[in-house]
Amino acid sequence: MNQSKLKDGFFLFLKWFVLLFFLIIALLPIVWLLLNSFRSNLELQVTSFAWPEKWLFSNYRNALQVASLPRLFLNSIIASASAVVLNVLVASMAGFILAREIFKGRDVIYTVLTAGVLIPIIAFMVPYFSLVTRLGLYNTRLALIMVYASVNIPVSIFLITSFMRSIPRELEEAAIIDGCSFVQRFTKIVFPLSQSGLVTAGTFCFIYAWNDFIMAILLTSSLETRTIQLGIRFFTSQFITDYTSMFAAVILTIIPSVGAYMFLHNRIISGLTAGAVKG
Amino acid sequence: MGKGLSLSDRWVGIARFVFLAPVLILFVFFFIYPFFFTLYASLTQWRGIGRMELSGFQNYIKLFSDSTFRLALRNNTIWALAHGFIQVPLAALVAIILLRKPKGWMALRTIYFLPNVISTVALTMVWRSLYNVQFGLINEVMVKWFGMEPVNFLGSIELALGAVIFQAIIYIGYFMIIILAAGMNIPSSLYEASEIDGASVFQQTRYITVPMLRGTLVTTITLAMAYGIRHFEATYLMTGGGPSYATTTMGIELFLKMDYLRYGEASTVGILLILFGTVAIVAIRKIFGKSDPMSEMAQ
Repeated sequence: MNQSKLKDGFFLFLKWFVLLFFLIIALLPIVWLLLNSFRSNLELQVTSFAWPEKWLFSNYRNALQVASLPRLFLNSIIASASAVVLNVLVASMAGFILAREIFKGRDVIYTVLTAGVLIPIIAFMVPYFSLVTRLGLYNTRLALIMVYASVNIPVSIFLITSFMRSIPRELEEAAIIDGCSFVQRFTKIVFPLSQSGLVTAGTFCFIYAWNDFIMAILLTSSLETRTIQLGIRFFTSQFITDYTSMFAAVILTIIPSVGAYMFLHNRIISGLTAGAVKG
Repeated sequence: MGKGLSLSDRWVGIARFVFLAPVLILFVFFFIYPFFFTLYASLTQWRGIGRMELSGFQNYIKLFSDSTFRLALRNNTIWALAHGFIQVPLAALVAIILLRKPKGWMALRTIYFLPNVISTVALTMVWRSLYNVQFGLINEVMVKWFGMEPVNFLGSIELALGAVIFQAIIYIGYFMIIILAAGMNIPSSLYEASEIDGASVFQQTRYITVPMLRGTLVTTITLAMAYGIRHFEATYLMTGGGPSYATTTMGIELFLKMDYLRYGEASTVGILLILFGTVAIVAIRKIFGKSDPMSEMAQ
C-alpha cells in the first residue's frame, strides 16, 4: 500500500512539474518584457530579470514620444482592420453560397479554396512582390490589406462555411415563403445568424495581419505605410541606449492581439479544433 | 416548367456567381496565379526586369550543388523532425494530462496557447535578450548559479540552430489544443468500462487514450512538420540565417536571393518549398496510415 502511495505521489509530482514547466515557458517572454518595461536601464544592466525597484511609467511616456510610433500604430490598425472587413465580407458571401446552395462544382470549389492552407505563403514572395509592383501598389496600404485578406481566405472559408452549414434550413424556408429574396436570405438571415463564426474568422485574420512581418517587409518601404512590427524591428535606433523604453513600446504593440485573444479565446480555441480533429 | 432554365433559375445562377466572385478573384490573384508564375519563373534567370527567358532546369541543378542551399535543406529537415517528434509528443503529454481535467485546466489551456497570438518580432526580441552573452538571463543563471563560462548561443555555429529551435517550444500550445479537443471526443464509456476492469490511469492512457488519438496525432505531426519546412520568421529575426549560414532555411535562402534580385532562383526555392511540403505530408500519411479509430467508430 505504501508503495502505491509513493507511486501516486510521484505521478502527481510529475504531472504538476510538466504543467508548471510549460506554464513558465509560455509566460516567461511576456512577463520578462512586462517587468523590464517598468525598470530602469541601470537595473537591467545589473540583472536582466527582477522585480522593478520603482515602477517607471516614464518608459511608456518615452516610447510614445518616439515620433514614429503613433504613426506606425495607426498604419497597423488601418491595415489589419481593413483586411478583416474585406476578408470576412467576401468569405461570408462565398461561404453562404458554398454552405446553403446546391449546384454542380460546389464541392470542387470548396476543396480548392480550403486546400490553400497547404501552401507555404513564403513560397509566393516573388509573385506577390512582382504582382503588387506591377499593379502600382508597392508601398501602399491597399497592397497589405489585399494580401492579408487573401492569405486568410482558406481559413475563413473553412470556418464560415462550416458554421453556416449548421444553421437550420427551416429558417430560410420560412423566409422564402414570406417573400424573402436571394440577397435578403443572406443579409437578413444567414449573415446575422453566422455572427459567431464570422467573429472567429475575423479574429484569426486580425491576429495574422497584426503580427505579420514578412509581407510588410516585402511590400512596404516608408514610414507612411509601414506597420508597427517593422517599426519595433527596425526603428530601434531611436532607442539606441534606452532598452527599457523599447520594451515598453513592444508591450504596447502586443496589446491589440493579446487583447483580442483574452476576449475571444474560447472562440479561437473552438475554431482551431473545428477542423483539425477529423483531419 | 418547360425545358431549359427558367428566368428565376438563371437569376439565381447569376446571383450565386456574384456572391462567389470576390473570393474567386482574390484566390486566383493570390494563390493560383502566384503558383504558376513561380513555377515559370523558377525555370528562368529573371532578375525582376525585362523578359523572362526560359533556361531549363539550370536553377534546380545549381541549387542542389550549392552547399548553402544543402545546409538550408538539412536545417529544414531538422526543424521538421524537431516539430513533429519533439514538439508534438510534448504537446500530447500536456494534452493527456489536461484531459484528466486537473484544477485550473481551462486557464492553463488558454495560457499555453497565448504565445501563438504574440508577434514573432516581439517574442524573438525577448529571446535574443535571453540568449545575449553579456546580460542575458540564461547566461546570468549559468554564470552566477553554476559558475560556468558565458556562452554566445546565437553567435556560435554549433549552438545557434539548437537555440533557435528550442525557443519554438513556446508554440506547443497550438498542437496541444488540437490533441486535447480530439481527446475530449473519446467516449467516456471506454474509460468507465476499463475502470471496472481495474485499469490504472497509466494503463488507460496506454491502451485507450493514445490508440484513440492515433489519427489526430498523425494529423498533428503532419501539420507540425509542414510548419517546420516553411519555417522563416523566428530564425530571420534572431540570426538572419547566420552565423555563416548555420541556421539558414529555405525560406531565408528565398528571401536573400530576392534581396540580390535573383528572382528566378528565388522562385526555384519557392517551388521546392511547396514540393517538399507536399512530399512530407504524403510520406507521413503513407508511413503512419491515416486510420482514425474515432471516425471509424462514428460510421
